Amino acid sequence: MESLSRPASCCERPSGRAATKRLVRTRCDLEMRALSVLVAIVIVSSGALALASLVSDSSSGVGVPSALQSRLAVAFAVSQTNESVANAGPDQNITVGSLATLNGSASVPSQGATIVNYTWKLSQTGSLGVTLYGEHVTFVARKAGLYVANLTILDSNNHTSWDITLLVARERPETFLQHYWLVMLIGGLVAAYPAFEVLKAVRRVSEGLPLIAPTTREKFKLSVKKLREINRKLLSNRMGLVGSILLTAFLLMAIFGPLLAPYDVTKFNLIHKFEKPSNAHWMGTDQDGVDIFSQLLEGARTSIIIGIFSALIASLLGTVVGLYAGYVGGWKDEVVMRLNDVVLSIPWLVLMIVVAALLGTIDLLGIILIIGFTGWSMTARMVRAQVLSIREKEFVERARAIGASDMTIVRRHVFPNTFPLVFANTILTVAIAILSEATLSYLRLRPADAVTWGKMLSYASESSAFQIGLWSWIVIPGLLIVLLVLAFTMVGYALDEILNPKLRKR
Amino acid sequence: MAGRSFRSYVGKRLVNVALTIIGIMILNFLLIHLMPGDPSNQLFPRDPKFDQSLKWQLVEKFRLNDSLPTQLGTYIYNTFTGDWGTSYTTRRPVFDIIMNDLRWTMLLVGVSTVLTIILGMGIGAYSAYRRGGPFDAGATSITLFFYGMPIFWLAIVLQLLFTTHPLAMHWWPQLPSGGYYDTERYGSQLRLTVPIILSIGKYLILPTLTLAIGSVAGISLIMRGSLIDAMTEDYIVTARAKGLTDYQVLRRHALPNGMPPMIALIAMDIAFVIGGAYQVEVVFTYPGIGYETMNAIWNLDFPILQFVVVIGGVAVVIANFLGDMLLLYVDPRIKA
Repeated sequence: MESLSRPASCCERPSGRAATKRLVRTRCDLEMRALSVLVAIVIVSSGALALASLVSDSSSGVGVPSALQSRLAVAFAVSQTNESVANAGPDQNITVGSLATLNGSASVPSQGATIVNYTWKLSQTGSLGVTLYGEHVTFVARKAGLYVANLTILDSNNHTSWDITLLVARERPETFLQHYWLVMLIGGLVAAYPAFEVLKAVRRVSEGLPLIAPTTREKFKLSVKKLREINRKLLSNRMGLVGSILLTAFLLMAIFGPLLAPYDVTKFNLIHKFEKPSNAHWMGTDQDGVDIFSQLLEGARTSIIIGIFSALIASLLGTVVGLYAGYVGGWKDEVVMRLNDVVLSIPWLVLMIVVAALLGTIDLLGIILIIGFTGWSMTARMVRAQVLSIREKEFVERARAIGASDMTIVRRHVFPNTFPLVFANTILTVAIAILSEATLSYLRLRPADAVTWGKMLSYASESSAFQIGLWSWIVIPGLLIVLLVLAFTMVGYALDEILNPKLRKR
Repeated sequence: MAGRSFRSYVGKRLVNVALTIIGIMILNFLLIHLMPGDPSNQLFPRDPKFDQSLKWQLVEKFRLNDSLPTQLGTYIYNTFTGDWGTSYTTRRPVFDIIMNDLRWTMLLVGVSTVLTIILGMGIGAYSAYRRGGPFDAGATSITLFFYGMPIFWLAIVLQLLFTTHPLAMHWWPQLPSGGYYDTERYGSQLRLTVPIILSIGKYLILPTLTLAIGSVAGISLIMRGSLIDAMTEDYIVTARAKGLTDYQVLRRHALPNGMPPMIALIAMDIAFVIGGAYQVEVVFTYPGIGYETMNAIWNLDFPILQFVVVIGGVAVVIANFLGDMLLLYVDPRIKA
């Protein structure tokens, strides 16, 4: 009875108790499913986020399986004087990307003095170092090369002493999984679809039906025709044409660029840092002696990966929230939209900066998740508005009249009608995500394990590239970002115009 | 009757504003307290030189040993009473720091927003008026180009351009940046005298120009679109048919109908402009909210960080509210 006294939303029809009951049941069903999808997304993503932060939070080191750690003991024998001791031991070898533990030990002469603190300064030539505190600290070397570890000890008599050791960080041969996780993820998702189709076909054949149903064939023909039409319209639109050409060029650069890169971007060459452009290094070398031109080629791939994946996450979340809020209506819609308003009110960049800062060190996956999880609210609002108008359409009413469940209506009628909007919007979001990544990187919240154009710009401006004659280090990555963003924006606008002609007539 | 519906509309909006602000504060609180890791680890610097008594003071102040709801209550209470704690790095009250920086950021954002609106609407309206012409094509592609540009990069390039003499052109203007005004010449004590105000204006040129150029595209493109939309309506045809000139049609019929979506958009755009102001402030070392935030992040100064999100959110909420009120005034359809 409680369910009957609910404020009647517009999709409830006065057709007897049985119908209302069914309606309530199916709505609950829909809500449960939508909720479970949301919960699943939240659980999976928070798990991933937690994992990412655990793996990347170098200073805590809690929860990292011991198999991942390559323990290392730098035994410092620092005596209680104000002079440094001679070399504490041979240079230490550590592995890039895995957790190393530095153990400081100091002997305190009698007098009842105790050690107050241990301060570690770890730095790599040419870049800003990190400062860690504690007797035992852990840290992760981000790049191959030489690290200088400087340990300063302060005792209760205010005496300090310090010592230096050198850490040689070497590249660990990456396992297949680590290098290709993204490729495998995409590949898995792409392969799931044909596998599903094959399963269906096998079942059809075993039931004695023709391999390809005539309706499927018709549908396929129709969708091919539709795609051709969209493609034709896109290329006949001025913006769409320019955008498509640019986008194709960038996609080619992302696929083949890293293969053509003349140098390995993870190999340091500290003797050749800040070199002027020459035949060997077309755009010179950066603060670690890494070839800038190779980084440029490598950066295309990462920038596009970050843009596309974070936009996909944002769109998926936004669509689920928008569909739910718009279709269910009532107070639940109100609550969801108030929450959405809250997220929308905080400037996106500010929200991203604070989340990134709270997470500490971030990697590629981390930055994708940060951008994706803070950027869904605009899509949600837009999808909801669209759903509100579709919900009132006759075909939805008709589907409901023949007894389709809410889940079916959403899946078969509401979602397909919002899809063009979502699709065009996702492409526009990619552009914003690329800009966001560049900005975050510039503000020193950069992915530790990847080369992106934003990161190049940030190092370039930190090394005042113009003053040392490496002007192309600042100008070219910036221009490429502009063009990449433009490519996605133009294609997005053009698609929006083609797919949603009624929404935006210009 | 109109008065009552007007009042109820404003009242409803005000309730929404209050709810959203409370929501922002709760979200901000949860962000800091539910992040992986112990919040006290993040709230206090890891530097052992950090004064331990200050730490206990903070634990006491934010009730970090109590349950989460109690902490939330304390946090909201403290926020409203202006008791925002003390910065780790400067040891000054956070409230004072933020309010001081806020004035300068508001100056920066305000001036550049006015500039953006004038420029954007002008360009958009003229493009719509001459649509398809060379001005339209040129303006659209140039604004699109700036739309895709990271604001910080534009800032770097402009800074380099106006602090050097490109191609050895000696007449090339040089513009100062870094700080609010020329403190070396006028002293760090801010007095509102004419030379200081002029100096403030001079130091403001580069940041505002960058911010305005970076955000003009959003406004001019939408202005153009909404005007062209309005131009295809029947009443425009009628107006043309009765013999009005193109300019009269634009001024009297298209502009008033193109305005409401523009106002809503400008209000929404404030969030974007604040994000831009962050970048501009960092590049030009203009010590406003954005610069302070980035410093707080690099120094792990969490008391400041805790309120930056709230300030940004509240600014956007207020801007949207004002936009709604303006819409009410401009668009008679809402009142009905």
